[in-house]
Amino acid sequence: MIDNKNRNPSLTAKSVAVKKPESFFAEQPPQKSEMAPARLHRLTRRDVLLFGAGAVAALSGAGFLLPQNTLSRLGVAGKMNSPRKEWFLNQALRIDDDVAEALYSEKRMVPTYTKSQITDLKNNYNGATPDPGYISGWNLTLDGLASGLTISLDIRNLMTRFSIHEQITRLVCVEGWSAIAWWAGLRFDDLLRAYPPISQAKWARVESSVNLDASGNPDPYFMSLDLATARHPQTLLATHFNGQPLTVDHGAPLRLLVPVKLGLKNVKAITKISYSAEEPKDYWAEHGYSHYDGI
Amino acid sequence: MSHSTSACNQQNPASTSPRQQHVLVVKRHHLLVRWSHWLNVPILFGLILSGISIYWAAPVYQHKPNPTTGNFDVAADIGTWICSHVPGLHQYSNPPGWIYNHLSLGPGMLASALRLHWLCAYLFMLNGMLYVAGSVLGGGWRSLLPRRTDVFDALKMFRYYIGFPFAKLIRRKWLHPRFNTKYNALQRTAYFSVPVAACLSVATGWGIHKPMQLHWLAAIFGGYNATRVWHFWLLWIYILFLVPHLILVFADGWDTLRSMIVGWSTRLEPPEAIAHDRQ
Repeated sequence: MIDNKNRNPSLTAKSVAVKKPESFFAEQPPQKSEMAPARLHRLTRRDVLLFGAGAVAALSGAGFLLPQNTLSRLGVAGKMNSPRKEWFLNQALRIDDDVAEALYSEKRMVPTYTKSQITDLKNNYNGATPDPGYISGWNLTLDGLASGLTISLDIRNLMTRFSIHEQITRLVCVEGWSAIAWWAGLRFDDLLRAYPPISQAKWARVESSVNLDASGNPDPYFMSLDLATARHPQTLLATHFNGQPLTVDHGAPLRLLVPVKLGLKNVKAITKISYSAEEPKDYWAEHGYSHYDGI
Repeated sequence: MSHSTSACNQQNPASTSPRQQHVLVVKRHHLLVRWSHWLNVPILFGLILSGISIYWAAPVYQHKPNPTTGNFDVAADIGTWICSHVPGLHQYSNPPGWIYNHLSLGPGMLASALRLHWLCAYLFMLNGMLYVAGSVLGGGWRSLLPRRTDVFDALKMFRYYIGFPFAKLIRRKWLHPRFNTKYNALQRTAYFSVPVAACLSVATGWGIHKPMQLHWLAAIFGGYNATRVWHFWLLWIYILFLVPHLILVFADGWDTLRSMIVGWSTRLEPPEAIAHDRQ
């Protein structure tokens, strides 16, 4: 090697002239090139026009996507509430629901907490809290069963027939607040095994007929729940809260506790569960919220 | 006006020699970087408007409810303060709603806000991929990497910007610090921080959006409630960035703005190096 170098001085000189190899992370010097001013001018005009078209498109996109209330406040006259707007925004919501469904796994457990981490849980009945009078005559009706029957179960029946499981989990509201609470109840999965739904069933409609609106009038609450989520081991039909039977505030005598969904899916005072192959209607989805609500 | 005149001259080859017909240009920003830069404007606008409507439903900053009004929201307090102190707003019908009526989709619009927020969030993530692709293809990412000298150099730049208006006032010469990189240290810090903040916004966003399936993500940021605080404060990073960004791009002039629209710049060296040479 050394010999080679000595015999070939021109090569050595060349290797000195070669620039030190730049690090992969080092900033590259700018690549200068020549351009006819007319071409630069033409490119500039083309791209500035394109930019203007983009700005106009963004503004009309805002007109298309923003809610009517917001547009009216901005002083935009005229109705911009087209059915296409609703359709488009709901499509976007469906994409998010699909992502949530893809994230769901029957095997993935939600975090559980200790009793010292329990926080207050307010009564978040959207309307008035029902009069506790309904509790004495309460029954759970099951519909859409493989047997073709409609079954009616009382609370004693449910509590003696099924094993009771306890869990301390977080209930997350769509509004953003959350509460860690201690629940006990039977697994929805156990009920599904004891009273199997029709074979094509993919959905449960969970309903509370005792729900009231803000002025105290009957306002049945109904909610769609996919059976995959219903079969999750932490999905309970809760009978107890903080070691005590549920109070009317928390949906006595039986409420749904589905921690992998937003709080609005956790129906209080369930009176009926119907199984179906088609996705049933959902109270809050009709108000513009998501259908799936997986968290 | 002067722009179109010069273009006319250049289109007349008879008046100039062929050598003078060409200008030296340099490509500043890759096409995908430029697209993602401008797409961020409507996307972030939608995210912020809907985000503050989501904030309305669960204010991150609240105090014990006021015994008379029942109000617990700091943003409502600020609205009330604005309406009682800003002339012309004393008659405003709903002072606690002032912030939400002016900086969000509006109060009581959670369902619309969530829908728009998810839509814009997915677009924001797609746009982020566009930006990463453009930075890699154009090699621009190298200009954003922090350097060891950045802290000192950024302070020098900061001193320059702070002193600039005063120097102008007393008509003193105020030299721009010299550098021979695409960005100065302060720009580099800003342009590096914003993508980092964007990644954190996405991560904290998923943390509060899917607190059960992605509970480990919220745990990284200190739990479910803390992640929401992070997500809210990241908004201020964008605002903190945006104010000087807008001022400086207009102060810097057309060439800088053009380089983000067209991609080409006719400034071959940092302008301050040229300024130095002229002195």
